[in-house]
Amino acid sequence: MSRAQIETELLAWMREDSAPDEDAARFERLALAIFVFQFESCEPYQRFCASMNQTPASVDRLEAIPPVPAGAFKEFALRCFPAEATCKTFRTSGTSLDRRGELHLDTLVLYEASLLASLQRYFMLDLCGTGPEMHFLAPSGEESPDSSLTHMFEVLRREEGSPTSTFDLRDGSLDLDSLVEAIRSAQSRNEPLIVAGTSFAFVHLLDALADTEDTDRWLLPTGSRLMETGGFKGRSRVVPREELRTAIASRFGLDERAVVNQYGMTELGSQFYDSTLLDPDGPRRKLTPPWTRVRFVDPASGVDVPAGDLGQIVIHDLANTGSVAAIQTADLGRAILDSDGREIGFDVAGREVGAEARGCSIATDVMLDASMLRVES
Amino acid sequence: MSRLEIDWPDEAAERVRAAQGRLRLAGPALRDRTFEDRLESVAKILGDWTAPDSPWRRELATSLAAASPFSHGTIQEGLDAALTRWSPEAFIACAENEVGSQLAHRGTRLAPFDWTTVVAGGSIPMPTILSSLLPLVLGSPVLLRETRKDPVTASLLARSIQATDPELSRAFEAVSFPAVDLSAYAIALEAPCVVATGSDETLAAISSRVDSSHRFVGYGHRFSIAILGREIANNEPLLEEVAAGLALDLARWDQSGCLSPVVAYLVDVPKSVASRLAHQISERLAELSHNMPLGDLSPSQGASIASERSEARMRAASGIGRLVETPNHTITLEADAQPRPAPLGRFLRLMPVESPDALVRALEPFSGHLSNVAIAGLSVPGATNIHSEKNASASNNISQTPIQSLLGWLSRAGVSRFTKPGRLQTPPIDWPHDGQPVFSPLSRFTQWTQSV
Repeated sequence: MSRAQIETELLAWMREDSAPDEDAARFERLALAIFVFQFESCEPYQRFCASMNQTPASVDRLEAIPPVPAGAFKEFALRCFPAEATCKTFRTSGTSLDRRGELHLDTLVLYEASLLASLQRYFMLDLCGTGPEMHFLAPSGEESPDSSLTHMFEVLRREEGSPTSTFDLRDGSLDLDSLVEAIRSAQSRNEPLIVAGTSFAFVHLLDALADTEDTDRWLLPTGSRLMETGGFKGRSRVVPREELRTAIASRFGLDERAVVNQYGMTELGSQFYDSTLLDPDGPRRKLTPPWTRVRFVDPASGVDVPAGDLGQIVIHDLANTGSVAAIQTADLGRAILDSDGREIGFDVAGREVGAEARGCSIATDVMLDASMLRVES
Repeated sequence: MSRLEIDWPDEAAERVRAAQGRLRLAGPALRDRTFEDRLESVAKILGDWTAPDSPWRRELATSLAAASPFSHGTIQEGLDAALTRWSPEAFIACAENEVGSQLAHRGTRLAPFDWTTVVAGGSIPMPTILSSLLPLVLGSPVLLRETRKDPVTASLLARSIQATDPELSRAFEAVSFPAVDLSAYAIALEAPCVVATGSDETLAAISSRVDSSHRFVGYGHRFSIAILGREIANNEPLLEEVAAGLALDLARWDQSGCLSPVVAYLVDVPKSVASRLAHQISERLAELSHNMPLGDLSPSQGASIASERSEARMRAASGIGRLVETPNHTITLEADAQPRPAPLGRFLRLMPVESPDALVRALEPFSGHLSNVAIAGLSVPGATNIHSEKNASASNNISQTPIQSLLGWLSRAGVSRFTKPGRLQTPPIDWPHDGQPVFSPLSRFTQWTQSV
């Protein structure tokens, strides 16, 4: 299959309303086709696979496709097209001492189709097409042109947001007045408001409001929802995920199920959202778009662990046609099973998750964090 | 009849309060003893641990193997290697040098803290043992908060004190409580002197809760490195000695703690020699693993190692560096000295630098976080003492060679000890941990002048 054929099929799939496990055969067929294409088109990936004797001739199932470590995006230009065809490069966050991972794209069509389909399916739901006002606790695309998170918010605003939606993080400062006014306005219209941003921005916001007496003016209208994503390191105090969710929900007067965490990485074309808006009565877990698979492997062997056991997260993201679709993260997680033992999503374990979070670490921490793994009491 | 379950949320806090009360009662008797008497008694207790056939050490090795991720062989070797190098005579000499010399000044007296809280950190017992014994010498009763990762050393140490000096043992209390138990912590941190080991964040959290008029001594966030010079290229026995030494430093405590090397910097060492070194370290590690098998790795550490191995494999596949791996250890030969994660668990990076100046540039981000440095194969004029465990005083020479400048920079960057490969994990008892003297930070003196 050519890349164009693969992408045509993927775009059609993203418009369908299929469940993740409905078409395992289709997923594996496309994953293997993408592997062949990427093996032939991306030299560093080809050399990596060949060093482990994994080639299109030997790889005949999903689990045999070698995943590249997420950190490899810092070291290699993992693209399946000529460098001059690059139309967009997203970079992981970091300091001048950190290497930054880069995702190169020669088209945004599939990338945006994937992120939008997930947003509509798992976050917007009933608000799709209603044009709610959105406020992003993140810098705008102008200020942060290489941030994949900002780009995602830009697409969300463009496709689903009202014209008054804004980015409220400017020059490193959070514009509280803008947010207050938006909430006041939404309250008066009794229309849902969407607030989305990085986890550390929410921490700063909560800290700034800690002594606020007029709590009512922060209460969001019914139907409102919030999305937080990424980590904290080096940007704010570290807050356990559950604690942050509770604090956010309490401050904005929402049910905790209206606070959704997104698990994403710059290196991926797809993202994973909490289930609580789509399945409010089920256990909170991350949902997988049908064109992705999340596996949990034994770090030592790379073999899948039994369903439900803790393992290292490997993601197969078919939306990554132009780079590498199989990615080994440094995160741990486990599949969430229903009463029949079927996988219905997954959970991410650990202190901080996602490459965005790792990218926030300063260079010293990179070495020191690990050297203290057993020293902390 | 069913059991009555009683919710007793302050149980740990009450235990700590009770221990604090007992220590206050024991204080006068401890202070009534002379400095020399306390020193002699504590040195004897230390001797019970450092003797070649110490039953305490043997019991600790067995107990810790059941309670920690380390294998029994690794614990036994680690304890034997470290504690047998701690001589009671050196301990006494250190105390007399730091404290006795002060007391020799007419009118100077020790003014012991009413009690000292020691917050242990990590899973390696030696710092816990030493930190607990030092205040006793100075006349201050000790409340030891044991670490979750080492739940056996404290109680064993208490028993050993009791066996040698029952009176002294009344001035030592070991307690355990979870880090989230702020009530218990608050009582423990009421101590007029608090000693803590841990990450920078842990130390900051603890010190913020210590009254500003109280003494706080923190041992923080550090890591160690090796620096190998070109001379290893022309000296096969030296190359073999370095490989064996680094392998031992990596195997000890599975590379845990601040004395473990995470990177070996190769200064102007040819690639072919670096490659041979990587393989030799791997071979020595494989030999060591027979008696010192790798312990259990946490899932997150396993994932970290797997990720770093994959990245190294990817670089190697593209001709950038090399990866030498077995299921139990990893040696990467990098192409540059860019900072990279150190997942530990017997994972060493060999990083080339072209000169001492380049090494300084590579290490600058870590200034203040370096602990010990193993050196080999560097021409250090007048620095034969490096191999005899002395500090880098050689770097103070007036004529500065590049190597001397490097050593001087490292000292200023906080390196507290230079040694040779194979000795990183076994510092002498008078090693200035984090650059601090052994007794002095915990000591308090009063001077009586003639006018009074």
